[in-house]
Order: sequence, then structure tokens, then C-alpha cells
Amino acid sequence: MTAQTQPSEFVGKAVERLDGPDKVTGRARYTADVFLPGMLIGRCLRSPYASARIVSIDTSKAKRVPGVFAILTGADVAGYRYGRVCRDIPILAQGVVRFVGEKVAAVAAETAEAADTALSLIRVEYEELPFVVDVHAALRDDAHRVHDQPPKVVGARLRNPGDLKMYPPLPNVISQLTLRHGNPAEAFAQADHQFQHTFNIPSVHQGYIEPHSCLIAASDDGDVDVWMSNKAPHGARAALAEALSIPKEKITLNPVFIGGDFGGKGGLMDAPLCYHLALHARRPVKMVMNSFEELTAANPRHAASITLTTALDRNARILAMKARMIFNSGAYAGFCPVPTIHGYTAFAGPYKVPNCDLEVLRVYTNAVPAGHMRSPGGPQITFAVESHLDMIARDLQLDPCRFRRDNAIAEGDLSPIGERRQFLHCRAVIDAAIREFGWDRPKGADVGRGIALYEYPPGTFDDSNVVMSIDGAAKVDVAVGAPDTGTGFHTIVAQLTAGELQLPLNDIRVAFRDTGASPFERGPSGSRLTTTIQQAIKAAVDAIKTALTTLAAERLGAREGDVRYRPDGLIEARGKSIDLKALMAWAEAAGKAPVVRHGKNTPTGRSDVTCFAAQIAEVGVDRETGQIRVNFMVTAHDVGQVINPITHQGQIEGGLVQAFGQTVCERLHFGDDGAVISATLGDYKLPTVMDIPDLTTILLPVPTAI
Amino acid sequence: MRTVHTTVNGQRVVADVPDNTLLVDFLRSQLELTGTKESCGVGVCGACSVLLDGKPVSSCLTLAVFADGCTIETIEGMADDNKLHPLQEAFIRCGGFQCGICTPGQIMMAKALLEQHPRPTRMQIKQWMMGNLCRCTGYYKIIESIESAAEGTKS
Ligand code: FES
Ligand code: FES
Repeated sequence: MTAQTQPSEFVGKAVERLDGPDKVTGRARYTADVFLPGMLIGRCLRSPYASARIVSIDTSKAKRVPGVFAILTGADVAGYRYGRVCRDIPILAQGVVRFVGEKVAAVAAETAEAADTALSLIRVEYEELPFVVDVHAALRDDAHRVHDQPPKVVGARLRNPGDLKMYPPLPNVISQLTLRHGNPAEAFAQADHQFQHTFNIPSVHQGYIEPHSCLIAASDDGDVDVWMSNKAPHGARAALAEALSIPKEKITLNPVFIGGDFGGKGGLMDAPLCYHLALHARRPVKMVMNSFEELTAANPRHAASITLTTALDRNARILAMKARMIFNSGAYAGFCPVPTIHGYTAFAGPYKVPNCDLEVLRVYTNAVPAGHMRSPGGPQITFAVESHLDMIARDLQLDPCRFRRDNAIAEGDLSPIGERRQFLHCRAVIDAAIREFGWDRPKGADVGRGIALYEYPPGTFDDSNVVMSIDGAAKVDVAVGAPDTGTGFHTIVAQLTAGELQLPLNDIRVAFRDTGASPFERGPSGSRLTTTIQQAIKAAVDAIKTALTTLAAERLGAREGDVRYRPDGLIEARGKSIDLKALMAWAEAAGKAPVVRHGKNTPTGRSDVTCFAAQIAEVGVDRETGQIRVNFMVTAHDVGQVINPITHQGQIEGGLVQAFGQTVCERLHFGDDGAVISATLGDYKLPTVMDIPDLTTILLPVPTAI
Repeated sequence: MRTVHTTVNGQRVVADVPDNTLLVDFLRSQLELTGTKESCGVGVCGACSVLLDGKPVSSCLTLAVFADGCTIETIEGMADDNKLHPLQEAFIRCGGFQCGICTPGQIMMAKALLEQHPRPTRMQIKQWMMGNLCRCTGYYKIIESIESAAEGTKS
């Protein structure tokens, strides 16, 4: 509301990120950077077997190691099971182990060396049991059952169409989702062409550079202070309270920077164990997973086996698609915050598929438990669908771009799963990518080209809140309930607030303080946060403006109905005017500042607005070595209003290189017993700066209201 | 236990360290310089990069006693009296970071690069920086940041 700014000056502008100075100077404090007096180091002993009964555990020698303060085994934490939706994860193995890497015992000691020495002296006797690693084997009637009993299930709700059964009477099945749209049987009967292919897609790791870390201090009066690498502290606090059977008011999650999340840092990981170690040792305990533990025993993306069957008419129009998607959930289901794998909601999303029949299974095996990673299920399903379409196009001798374009979804079409969506600019995105790439220009020797499409709607679900206050100097504080995991969330909050209030960006402060001093925030999930926080900010600004109107009326001796906000930033009533700074200074003197208001979003189940991307890659192959190299890519997007071009482009580039890694060089290799054998960053190959392709990004100039 | 004489970010440090202490732990735990990060612990990711007598090393693979008689530069020493180093400014300007966990290592590595090649080519940047992993940015804006800093310091 000052004269020098306009409403949208900061929205759409490439402003520098607020966390920049902390992050480039080393001041930014991550969990592992927090040191408390008397703090111990916690470490765990993990199972060498995929499936075994624990016959006995002897900790007597380990207890004698100097500097050891606590040693826990399953017996010390019996009765606890935690997890998201499915409460199936024991804090330490309860009599049986179900994957190589499962935690069996834990030590807290003054130094890492003492802890490791103690671990090496714990004697565990195992009796090996049958195991199953392959999902198809796990589904057979005679398969080894990874769990005898289904666990407690809480909040298994779907936001999308589909028929969901949790723990149906099928071997090792956690959830079975079926969905039918249209009349697939009839469409298949009328088809001129039918194709069926199966794709097996391996697991990958989120690859965040900061490993899972937590530090917990439990006071004698029951207060629990937590620092942990978790993207959604309010959710983590509630989950921790339930997992530990203590009231959530007793728990505080303190603010720390998060060193990369990509969906992998929404669960509790070692926090329940860390709490019990701290309780037994009566000292704060810090646990930081090493990179071996991260790669072998954290919560990577699900491996999948996807069979697709497609019916087409004589003009190569898709009539119907059938999909059976089996996701390997590993030994525990509780690392997933949702009952099924949500990627099915964007199944073949860029295409008009009038008849569709889907089955999505999550299956227990004796492998590392799978969790969430960036668009869970999305890359697996997209890889299968796009490869399948390429194979069909090749068989029918069609150009893969034109085949896709002819089958692209358009305004008025229902999505493959029968949902109504709008702003379906799929063809425009394909055209933009083709044009920029020069699809028809001649190819060099040993060079291949390919296109893939993607569709994804922004999330509009669950709660976002802000508490906004404006003080006597007209400075605004916005309290949010989650840290900035690196996406630029806090900077975007500042930009949106500055835009709504017409204040300079420097007058806005955004902070996540701790769970006690901040409003609830579901956190980043399903591309929701920019949308949901924007609604919360608008609501808070409206409430602030209402309060300012009352103040201005009083100050100017007018009725509230006469107060106007002028374009030059002044507030006016009955011929008199005042600027915001003067008004707030007066309010403070009168004891009426700061003005504090709360804003909340209006969550909806599902956005009907959606986004498309089309990517074209040129790949060269060295015929002698077989080495492939992605030379050049075009990525075209239809995303609507961009709030900050720097952070937006950062998301595209980071996501693209992650997809590149998953396609070209990353793979969690499972051994025969399910053990991850690509267990170091030397064997698990994350893309480096040498690997990345030249890249051109196209953003469609489509003003889409979200 | 050994007595180590070093200069850390311009300040003389004399400290007793156990023979098996890693430089990363010496910096982080003993000197409380937590700007240097540890991720892989096995010399692959570059998060722990610091400069020893001006040369980049993985502090997770270097014993603290090796630093005896050396100068050590860490991210905490990059800014001069609150005036950011041109590389730090460029990383902010170009968005060369997201979560920030790899950033101290990237900046230290880039500092050593620019000292050796003040106007690096894109290929020189890539070859020099290939030992520093970043999962967030896809590297494009890190390259841009280094190029931008190199241009700025030249003029
Ligand atoms: S932590 Fe030293 S190179 Fe990764
Ligand atoms: S900014 Fe997150 S790993 Fe590089």
C-alpha cells in the first residue's frame, strides 16, 4: 500500500531467494549441525538376513564398552508399531526380521567409535526363514507371507475415483485398487489392433545429499525436543506422538534446514528409536544415517511391474487401455502416506482414453521398504505408458509425435480415469516442443530421438495456514508451519504477501519457528503448496485489510464504508488520507498494533486444472562401447502463472535431471535375497554435472487461473 | 593425540586432535564450523570440500593431522566482513542452490577453479565440478553461477 509498488510487482518476478545468504555462507543449520551439551551418538545394528527368526540377542559384552549409555533391543520397545496409514513398522525388530538392513538393536554412546565397538560386540542368533523378493512370486498362493497379520490401518481414504481394498484376501497384498471407466470390454471387442507389453521398472533412491538425521532431547518432566530432517514438522509431531504414546503438546519440532526431500523425508525414520535411546540414556541422542544405510535401508521409490494392453481402431485412435500395476512395497507399508500409489491418477493423462480398466497392487516382499519419492508412481507409470506407445507407433509405422498428437486429450474430454479437467493444452505443448526441437530436421549418424508426455494437476488438498501480523513500523511477519525444503517456498510466501499488501519485499519476513509457535501446515506434497499457501495468504490479507479499514476509519473520523485503498497506496476517507506507515504508527501509539490475523486455505479433494509437459530428447550411442549419451533435450510446459522464474526453472531443471538419472544411470540393484547391492554412491550412480544434456525450456504463455 | 598448528579462515588454530580424527569432524565438532557438510563420507559427493593450502580436498577422507602446518579455507571464511564473495553473490543471483546442503562444497570447489582458471570454459567448469553432486538443481544454475562470478570478477 505504498506508492512505489503495484499489486503484482513481485509476483512473476525473479526475486532472489530469502534463504540465499544463510545457504551460501554456511550459516544455514541442518539437523546434523545441531550439537547439544552431553549429546550422544546413536547407531543401529541391522539384519544380515532377508527373513529370519531372532533366536537370541546377547548385549552383555557391548554393555561393558566405555562410553556406552544405552543399548536397546526389540524387547525394550515391544508393543510399538508406527507408520503412515499402515502402522506396521516396529521400532526394532520384534522376533523376526523381514529385510536385509532391518534394525535389530541400537546403541547410544559418547562417541561414534564407542557406539560402533558396542554394536560389533552384540551377538544375535538367527534362524533363517523362507523369503520372497519378486512381486509375482509374492502373489502366488504358496508364497511366503511377509506378515502373518494385517496391521492397524488409519485414514485409508482416496481423493480420486477407484475402489480401494486394504489387505484384501490375496497373498502379501497391502492394497488393491480397481477402477473402470467406460466399457473397456466392448471397446476391446471392436478393436482393429491390440498390443500388450510388460515393463519392469527398478527402484531408485531419492538421492537427497543430506541423509536422514534426527536429534532428540527428552526432559525429566516429559518434554521432548526434536530436530529432524522432515519436510512437514506438524505431521511428524502428530505421528511421533502416536508412535510414542505421548501427547503431541509435549513434543516440539525445532526449525532446521532440510537438505533435500524429494518426497523421502515425510516419515519418522529413526525418530522413534532415537527417542527411546534418549529416554534410556537420559541424554540427548543424535542419529545420522550413513550413505550405506540410506541406500540399503531407507525408503526408496517402489520398483514396479506394469502390464499394459491397448486397443486401437483402424485409424490408430486409442479405444481402450488396460493396466495391471504391481508395486514392490518391500517389507513394510508404513513409509507411504497414502493407501495406494497415487501415480495411477495421472495414468495416460495426456491422452484421450475413453475406456479404461486399471488395477493397482501394493505388495509386501522381503526387500527394503519403499516410500515416497517425487510423484509416487508417476515415473514408473509414465515410463511404461510412453514406451508402450512408442512400441505401438513403431509397429504401426507411425511417427511417435504425430501418433501422440492425434490421441492427445483436448478440452471437453474426460481423463482416462474419468475425471473432468480443464485447460487441456496438451496439443499446444506437443507442438511447442516439436517446433523448438526441429523434429523433422535430418538426424546425424548413431543418433536417436524420442518424445514423452506427462500430465499432472496441482494439489489442492489438506490444510495450509499462515499467521500474519503487521507491526507499528508496517513490517509484516508471516508465520508458516513448514520449513523451505529448497523449493523456494518461503520466498514465494513473501512475494505473494508483498503483492497482496502492496508492500516492498524487504518489509516482509517469513519464518517457520517451531511446531508450538506456528500454524498447522501439511507441507509440500503433490505439488500443492504454492496453490494452498496462496489461498491462506489471501484469506489472511483480507482479514488484515478489514482490521486496517477499521483503524483507518477511526483515525480519519469516517465510517468504515467510506474507507478506500487508492492505487497510489494511500488510504482515504471523506477527503482525508493517510499512508500505511503513519496509520500503523498511530495504531501502535494507541495500543492497537500489531494487528495479527490468521488465514487458511479452502482444501478441495481435487483440482480440475491440470498441467502438461512434453519432452524430446536426442540420444547418441557409441556403437563400440554401447555407451549412450543424451545430447540435447527440449522440455515444454504449460504451467499457468509462474510466481518466481528462478525457483520455477530450478524445479524443472532439477526434476528433469532426476528423471534423466532414473532413465539412464540410477538403479537400486536387489540381490537374490532382496539386499540392495548398489550400496555406495560409487555403485549407485547419481548424475554429475558431466552427464547433463543441453537443455531448452519452453513455457507456454497460457494464463491459467488456479 | 597430536598437536596441530593450522590457520583456519585466516585465524591461527592450535589444537590437540586424536590421530584418527577426520578433518571434517575436526572442523565441525571441534571448531564448530558446521558450514562444511558431510554426506557420503567416502569421497564421492563433494559436500565436505574445503581448501587445504588452496587445493580442494574431501575433508571426509583427510585426517585432521594432515592439516598440520597448512592453511584451511572453509565456507565460513568466504565472506569478508559481511561482504559476500562474488561467487556467493552469483549463487544467490542465479539460483545456484535449492536445499543448500551441497552449496558450501560447490562454492569452495568453484573458488579453487577460479583461482586456477579465472575465465573457465563451460567444459572446464564441468570437468572441475564433476565431483560435487547436487540432487536439487540439475547443475544448470550452478554452472551459470560460476560463469556469472567469473565474468564479474574479470571486469
Ligand atoms: S562427504 Fe566427503 S565426499 Fe561426500
Ligand atoms: S542444492 Fe540441494 S543438493 Fe544441491
